[in-house]
Amino acid sequence: MEHEGKNLRDDNIGPGGDDAFESLLARALRIDVPAAGAPAAVRRPRRWLSLAVAASVLIAVGVTVNNYYDARYFSSGDLATDVMAHMNHEPASLRRTESVVATGEFDQVLQQAGARLSVAPPAVSYVRLCPFRGHMVAHFVVQASHGPVTVLLLPEEQVDTQVSLDEDGFIGTIVPLQDGGSIAVVGEADEDISEVRDQVANALRWRL
Amino acid sequence: MTAAKSELELRREFNDLSLRLRPDLYRYAFWLGRDRQLAEDVVQEALLRGWKAFGNLEDASSAKAWLVSIVRREFARTFERKRLETVDFKDFEEQLSSAEDDPRLDEMRHAIFELDDDYREPLALQVLMGHTAREIAQLMELTEGAVLTRLHRARARLKQTLGMAQVADDNEH
Repeated sequence: MEHEGKNLRDDNIGPGGDDAFESLLARALRIDVPAAGAPAAVRRPRRWLSLAVAASVLIAVGVTVNNYYDARYFSSGDLATDVMAHMNHEPASLRRTESVVATGEFDQVLQQAGARLSVAPPAVSYVRLCPFRGHMVAHFVVQASHGPVTVLLLPEEQVDTQVSLDEDGFIGTIVPLQDGGSIAVVGEADEDISEVRDQVANALRWRL
Repeated sequence: MTAAKSELELRREFNDLSLRLRPDLYRYAFWLGRDRQLAEDVVQEALLRGWKAFGNLEDASSAKAWLVSIVRREFARTFERKRLETVDFKDFEEQLSSAEDDPRLDEMRHAIFELDDDYREPLALQVLMGHTAREIAQLMELTEGAVLTRLHRARARLKQTLGMAQVADDNEH
């Protein structure tokens, strides 16, 4: 018999309880997706579809594969607060290091997040596809002159004007983009984040 | 959707919607049936049905949940019509590229594969589609409490299978 979930709530069933487990679960469910119409490696003949109907729709559907709307993750309601909370949630990303991630890995994460940069930042030390306010977003860290600068690419977060962040020794900004969405850039208090901000904002294109 | 919109506008809207949602609709359908071709066919058929009815959708904000429900119905129809064969894990495994850099990923997929349908579906709806327990309850015609219980048990089973829980707190059976 099924319990009625007396002690279970939406916010304690799911993301938040065990990050490693939740991350692995989300990655496992998120299998790679073939472009619509692409031939499968081993493909049995199609048996019941009439593809001629509404072909234009299917062609459009098959052009690209992007990855949005994944897990539901909870937010405070305030974007700036969520940016800081997310950054603090991944302290391992904030170390100073000379090691950089491979270009292929960086590009892959951005692609999965529905973004691309025409010019990649020179010293990316961390990159990850992260759940953020109900979407999977690209989170990366650039090693700038005074230390790590965190960048979140937020295609679904609209802000009217630039938002400043100043909390716990970090400063940052959330910048609206011309094509919609925004980016959040956060660094240590003595860091000049404008260079990373401008570089990313100018090079960023959403894939949608 | 309003009647004032031209077909071109509707088509553009639906194309945008489909581009955005297709990957996760495919993944949802895949975890329902654990078969790539089935997932592809179900999603294509669902999108065709969705397109035909798109002009009648009154609330654009509900489009995602609406398409998920179409995929679910289409899967059920297909399952009924075709009386699908039992999926073998070996076949399933062949359809997924092995995660050489992280063997835990394969273990997790195996564990998800082994979950009962009743547990796997709400988990996929929550994690992939971002549905709340209430939305899952409406879709699956369950109480919200039952959904929360299934989500809890699904995770407990996965953790137990993967050795990630010291004490499995699943009290069923």
